[in-house]
Amino acid sequence: MTKRHLMGAAAALLATATVLTACAPGGSSSSSSSAKSPSGVSTDVAGDDVTLKVLDFWQNEEGKWMDAVVAGFEKQHPNIKIERTTQDWGQVMNTLNLRLADPNGPDIALVNNGWQSMGTLAKGGRILNLDAYASAYGWKDEIPSTILRQEQFTSDGKQMGSGSVYAVPAARSSLIGLYYNKAALDKLGIAVPKTLADLEKACAAVKAAGQIPIAYGSQDKGSSTAILFGLQDLYSSAKDIGDFVYSSGSVPITSTGITQAATALKKWSDAGWLTPNHQGIPFADSMNNFLAGKGVFQFNYTGSLGFSAAQKQTYGYVQLPQANGDQVVGTGSTVGNLAISAKSKHPDAAAAFLDYMASKATAQASVDHGYLPLLHNDVKQSAPDPELATEIAAQQKLTDSNGFVPYFDWSTPTMLDTLGGQVQLLLAGKSTPDQLAAAGQKDYDAFQAQRAKG
Amino acid sequence: MSSRQLLPRRAAPAAAVPEGAVGPAARGRRRQSPRARRRRWLGLAFAAPALIMYGFVVVVPIVQSVSYSFYSWDGVSTARFVGLSNYTAFFTDPELGEALAHVLVLVLFFAGLPILLGLLSAALLGRGKLRGAGLYRWLLFLPQVLTSVVVAVIWKRIYGPNGPLNSALRAVGLGDLARNWLGDFTWALPSLGVIGTWTALGLCMVLFVAGVAAIPNELYEQARLDGASPVKEFLAITLPALRGQLAVALTLTVTGALRAFDLVWVTTQGGPGTSTTTPALLLYRKAFLNPDVGMAAAIGIVLAIICLLVALIITRLSEENA
Repeated sequence: MTKRHLMGAAAALLATATVLTACAPGGSSSSSSSAKSPSGVSTDVAGDDVTLKVLDFWQNEEGKWMDAVVAGFEKQHPNIKIERTTQDWGQVMNTLNLRLADPNGPDIALVNNGWQSMGTLAKGGRILNLDAYASAYGWKDEIPSTILRQEQFTSDGKQMGSGSVYAVPAARSSLIGLYYNKAALDKLGIAVPKTLADLEKACAAVKAAGQIPIAYGSQDKGSSTAILFGLQDLYSSAKDIGDFVYSSGSVPITSTGITQAATALKKWSDAGWLTPNHQGIPFADSMNNFLAGKGVFQFNYTGSLGFSAAQKQTYGYVQLPQANGDQVVGTGSTVGNLAISAKSKHPDAAAAFLDYMASKATAQASVDHGYLPLLHNDVKQSAPDPELATEIAAQQKLTDSNGFVPYFDWSTPTMLDTLGGQVQLLLAGKSTPDQLAAAGQKDYDAFQAQRAKG
Repeated sequence: MSSRQLLPRRAAPAAAVPEGAVGPAARGRRRQSPRARRRRWLGLAFAAPALIMYGFVVVVPIVQSVSYSFYSWDGVSTARFVGLSNYTAFFTDPELGEALAHVLVLVLFFAGLPILLGLLSAALLGRGKLRGAGLYRWLLFLPQVLTSVVVAVIWKRIYGPNGPLNSALRAVGLGDLARNWLGDFTWALPSLGVIGTWTALGLCMVLFVAGVAAIPNELYEQARLDGASPVKEFLAITLPALRGQLAVALTLTVTGALRAFDLVWVTTQGGPGTSTTTPALLLYRKAFLNPDVGMAAAIGIVLAIICLLVALIITRLSEENA
C-alpha cells in the first residue's frame, strides 16, 4: 500500500468511527431499561403448545439431574416442551449478554449472582422483572429471605439484595465447608472435628503421623479462595458479611472476618498443614488428591467432588460453628439462578418452569442424584448415601441459625480475582493478612465509586 | 490494491485485440474497451465475496472497537461517553504498566530465543548434509502444529511439582533446583516464556531452512574456495540472505508476544499474584469477566497500534539495510 492509500484508509476509518461514535453502543436496548414487571400474568399455562428454550451449564452428572427435572416438568405440563442447550460455565457466561439480546435467544437462562451478570442484565432490561410472578406464585413467602435476597436488584441496577426479583433459585444448593476422609481419620484414631479448635488439633495429629492434613492447590486464583471464604465464615456475623457483599450500610472489609481468616490460613500454611508445593497444584488436581487419600481434609464447594459409591460411605462434610460461640455461619446459595429473557414470547410458561425449578420435586431430584437440596428440607434419601446425609445435616444447622451468607466474591466483579491473587501472595510470604484485607477494600472502594457514577 | 491487479495476466492482450477498429486513442493507458472494462468489473465481482467478508469480519469490528473505546459501557445498558479517559487510564494503570513490562520479558522468549535457536538449527540443518535432517525438522516443527491449549496443558504437567521436569532434576542430583515452576513468583514468567520459545521455534526454523535452501550453492562454493570457516560462511552468506525471513519471523513472534493470551490463560491465569498478567489477559477480563467493554476496546486498540508500529519498524529496518 502506498503512503497515500494509507492516509486515505486512515481518514476513511476515522470518518466512519466518528459517525459510529455519534450513537452510543447499547443505546437501542436501553429503551427497556429499568423494566417494569409485566402485568396480566397468569399461572394457568395449560392450553396451547409451547416450546421453551433453556440455556444452562449443567453437564455430565449434573446434566442427568437437570434432565430428570425437565422430564418431571413436561409430565406435569404436557403442552410445554423444554429444549435444553447446555454449555460449560464460561461459554454461557461470556455470551449471555448477547444471547439475551436475540429475539430468538433462550426464553430461560441461567444467570450468575452479583454485579457482572444478574446486575448488568437487570439494569439493561434484558431479563424480566419477576415481581408479578413472585406474588402470583407466592415465591416471597416460600423462599427464605436470605436466599431470595440473592435474586434481588433495584430496577435501576444500583442496589443488590433488595428491590425486584429477577431470578429464581433452583432447589439445589451449593455451600462452602469442610470435607473430611472418615476412613483416614478412623485409621489415625482421630474424631471428626466439630469445632475449629478440633480441626486444628486434628491437623496437628495428622501431620505428626506423617500425612497431609489439608488437600489444597493454589495455582488457580479462583479456587484458591475456597478455604479463605470457608474460614471467613467462622469469624464474622452473617449480617456483616451480607451487608458488605450487598453494599448496604458501610461495613468495612475488616469486619467480615477476612483478616482473621487470612491469619489462620497463613498459620496453617506455616505449620505445614497444606499439601506441599500447593503453589504448583491446580485446584482440580487437589480434589483428585483428596479423593485418592492424599490429604484428610478439604475446604470445598458442595457438589464439586465427584464421590464414587464407595467414597460416599467414607467421606463426610461439616459446617464448623463460629470460632467463638456455637452460631453457624456459612457461604451458601442455590447452584443456579434462572431468569426469563425480556424477549421471551412465553413468559407465563417460562415462569411456570421457574416455579418448578424451585419446587420440592426438583429438590427431591437433587437428593436422588446425590446433590444437596435447597428450599425443601423434608425430602427423602432413597439410596444410602452417608456423605450426602452429612451435607444435609450441615445445611440444616445453617438454616436453624439463619446463617446463610452470599458468596463473598459477589461483592464486586473483580473480588474473586483480587483475593485469589492476594492468597497466592500471602502464602508466598509476599503479603500479610492486613495487606490482603486492604487490597480487598481497595477493590471494593473502586467499584463503589464506579457504581455511584452509574 | 487496484482491481486491475486482480485480473489474470492474459487479460491485457485481450484488451488490445480490436486495435485497428478503435483507432489510436485506444492506445492510451487509461482508455479501455467496454469488454476490458467489463472484465475489470468481473474481477472485482470475483473478489467481492472475499472483500465483503473481510469488511464484516475485520474492518467493521475495528471501527466498532474504536468507537467503543470512547465509552464506559458494561455491554448491556446505555453507554456513557467518556472521551479519551479509557486511554489515559491505560497509561496510568499500574496493573497495565506491569503487564506491559511482562510483555517485554515475553518478547525475549517468544521472539529473541526462537530466532537465535532457529538460525542455529537452520545453519545445521539447512545445508542438508546431516543424517536424519528431515526427522529433526519434523520434530522441531511439531509444536507449531499443536493447538496452543494442548501445548499449555502438556507443559502444565511437565512443570508440575511432581512432573517430569522436577523428577528429572531430582534424578540427576539437582533436587535443589526443583520448584513449583508455574506457581513461583520469580519463575512463573520465564517458565511461561520457555513454552513460547518451544512453540515459536518450529516456525522460525522452517522459515530459515527454506531461506537457506534458496541461497545459490555457488556462493558457498566460492566461499569455500576462499577458505572461509563455517562460522564465517554463516555470517557472510547465510545471515545476510535471510534478512527477509528474519523480518517475517520477528514480526510474527514479536506481535505474538504482545498478544500472548491463550498460553497464559490456560497455565497461570495471570498468577501467581499478578506475576504473569499480560495486556491481552486484562483485555479479556475487562471484556467478559468484568464488563467494561470500553476499557477492553481501548486496550485492544492500543495493542493493535503497537503491533502495527512494531511491524512497520521491522519492515523498514529490513528494507533499509538491503
